[in-house]
Amino acid sequence: MGVSELDFEVHQAEVFGFLGPNGAGKTTTIRLILDLIRPTGGMIELFGLEPRKSVHNRRRIGYLPGDLRLYERLTARELLKYFAHLRGLRDLGMSPALADRLGLELDRPIRALSKGNRQKVGLVQAFMHGPDLLVLDEPTSGLDPLIQQTFYELVTEAKAGGATIFLSSHVLPEVQHIADRVGLIREGALVLVATVDELRAHAVTRVEVTFAEPPSAEAFAEIAGVREVERQGRRVRFSFRGDADPLVKALARHHVLAIDSHEADLEDIFLALYRGTEDVDAS
Amino acid sequence: MLRNVYAKSLRDMRRSIVWWSLGLIAMTALMIAVYPTVRDNPDLNKLVENYPDALKAFIAFGGELDYTSGAGYLGSELFAFMVPLLLAVAAIGAGARATAGEEEAGTIDLLLANPVSRRRLIVEKTAALATEVALLALVLWISLLVGVEIVGMDVSVANLAAATFAAALLAFSFGAIAVLAGSISGRRSVAIGVPAAVAVAAYLVSSLGSLVGSLEFARKASPYYHYVASDPLRHGLDLVHVGFLLGIGIIAIALAVLAFERRDLAT
Repeated sequence: MGVSELDFEVHQAEVFGFLGPNGAGKTTTIRLILDLIRPTGGMIELFGLEPRKSVHNRRRIGYLPGDLRLYERLTARELLKYFAHLRGLRDLGMSPALADRLGLELDRPIRALSKGNRQKVGLVQAFMHGPDLLVLDEPTSGLDPLIQQTFYELVTEAKAGGATIFLSSHVLPEVQHIADRVGLIREGALVLVATVDELRAHAVTRVEVTFAEPPSAEAFAEIAGVREVERQGRRVRFSFRGDADPLVKALARHHVLAIDSHEADLEDIFLALYRGTEDVDAS
Repeated sequence: MLRNVYAKSLRDMRRSIVWWSLGLIAMTALMIAVYPTVRDNPDLNKLVENYPDALKAFIAFGGELDYTSGAGYLGSELFAFMVPLLLAVAAIGAGARATAGEEEAGTIDLLLANPVSRRRLIVEKTAALATEVALLALVLWISLLVGVEIVGMDVSVANLAAATFAAALLAFSFGAIAVLAGSISGRRSVAIGVPAAVAVAAYLVSSLGSLVGSLEFARKASPYYHYVASDPLRHGLDLVHVGFLLGIGIIAIALAVLAFERRDLAT
């Protein structure tokens, strides 16, 4: 997937979530950052240097590829020892502690490891040298929920230590948990960059109201903040955003049996954006 | 053995080095064990003298075809074909694994995310390839020394070293071409196929070139020609030929670095 129209900065001690569906260009962007592929135009800077000129700076980077391939014939410990040497560490760095927290056995050959355990090896090698920049492509894929929690802790600790974390995902809730800002990428172009709080401010609430009698067709047409009204007999579903007062006043004129609502997560904002509807202003 | 890319690459080769060494020792032992029978059978040279020139061109190594002298026998039975073949196959295999192997396996993404430049990757992988070839050549040389001593062949230690060294250089030049083809294509099949084709062509052109006048120019471009030209088992090395073989290797590696530094790596 080629990418164009990407313009963003990631700051120190920030967690930047890079979101998009599969094939949107997330991995391409990350491989550009790592200098595995070269841009045909445009510019990337890491620590003030082009990726191509920053071989030494890679000591300061921890990278977890989306399509993680490891040396099958080595054990996890051997692989970590190899990378530790290449990065100028004397010992295994933080590896033993990380492996312990993630529940990874270091002395089994990598070819005998499950997908989840391989992913743990990938995470350990990315974090082991305490990098200033972590570039993580779909970091939680294959991890069970308990280990995902440990991963969130690792990211939070790294951030507290001043590290910058750039992580890609197509799973929104995980980014919502830990990211400060989010960039949405679609078909190779950055659609929007916003803080998670800003996105939340745009968040719509999905509401379903059950009436005693079917309301008239116009009853919900004119209420401020109400959109996407669907009717099914006595049941009405709509999305809602903003000041709740006009809605409550309007509902009060009817006999209401039940109200069911939930706040939309990023997923809905995301889908709304993707459909190109006007639920969220692309800012 | 995991200190750097060079050491790790050698470590990956350790089994291969053991097996190739055993093969070289077995081959050398077998060929030398047969020598006394050949030496004591002067009719064999008369038989060989009547071979067509084309056949002689393929059997001879450097100088005159002569089965009963030690140098002539080792040249025809080992150095004309089997030794360069085995060393070249080992070198091409190592050259193809260098970057194309890592690229196809997908491990190159993680490897290059470390502070290792692409140039350093090629240089260290090539150094590992050269070490493998050198070790195999050493094993071969020692096997020959032992064999020659036991059977009592009239070949000097220095000339055996010269022939073995020339064969190692020839193999290295093919290995370097494998590194080049792999660094351009990113595919192991190409990294094996290209140098294999070059090797076959080099052998044919050099051997036939002695018979066909119009091939004389092409012959001078064949690495195999520069391997046999000085007749190393009888006369040792010639700097021009050594320089030619070394030059091919160095140029191929320099081009590999240039190509690899400019390329997008495969996913």
